[in-house]
Amino acid sequence: MGNLKLLIMAKVIKHQYFFAHPVETVWEYLTNAELMGQWLMKNDFKPVIGHEFQFRTGGKANLNFDGIFYCKVLNIEPLKTLSYSWNCGPGEGRITLESVVTWQLEPKDNGTEVFLDHRGFDRAENLDMYHGLMHGWLEKFENIEKLLKTENHGDTNA
Amino acid sequence: MLMLLSEDSLTINSLADNFDMSRPAVSKHVKILETAGFISIKDLGRERYCTLKKDGFEELQAWLSYFDEFWASKLKKLETLLNNKLPN
Repeated sequence: MGNLKLLIMAKVIKHQYFFAHPVETVWEYLTNAELMGQWLMKNDFKPVIGHEFQFRTGGKANLNFDGIFYCKVLNIEPLKTLSYSWNCGPGEGRITLESVVTWQLEPKDNGTEVFLDHRGFDRAENLDMYHGLMHGWLEKFENIEKLLKTENHGDTNA
Repeated sequence: MLMLLSEDSLTINSLADNFDMSRPAVSKHVKILETAGFISIKDLGRERYCTLKKDGFEELQAWLSYFDEFWASKLKKLETLLNNKLPN
């Protein structure tokens, strides 16, 4: 059931990138609002836990997205890790998509290894049904995998 | 199996035709998927039809593609910015 594995993995976006620059420099470009604006998006970020801020970019009609990401700093460990919630919607502050972005930095001899993890993608609408479906997914997938492993072992005797 | 169902509702028999599996084996898999909430099963006449519960799968896929590309391009932009502004 390889398709199920695809679906599990599909809910998380991971990127890994090496920068030939010291960790302090990379950290600055991830936590200074003006510097962030030069490569990421215009923002009013502050490296303070609990700080609520926004990223602004162009909207995308096909995604029901008005161009604003509503974020809140969740965790910071200077030079090591940074995470913030990343929510958006069709407009007027309505949220239809929730996710979390986590940055992790690892100093190397000649630069910095950066790990980006973007996950969640929960829809805020139809909370009961959707949270049930989405939050339970990973657990359900794991249960299915277990069930199928048992089934497959059973079938080999058939 | 979920990919097949994303095309159309299929009967258990047609699903079995697509996989090198016996009908009872397919039924077992289908039951598991139904319990997990991914598909719904309807009996029409003598056939059981399985339908994928799409529930935003497609929108999710659209967002995931968007962000995957988004981050790849932003990281590249950061690299260019760092390389242009600072000596290594």
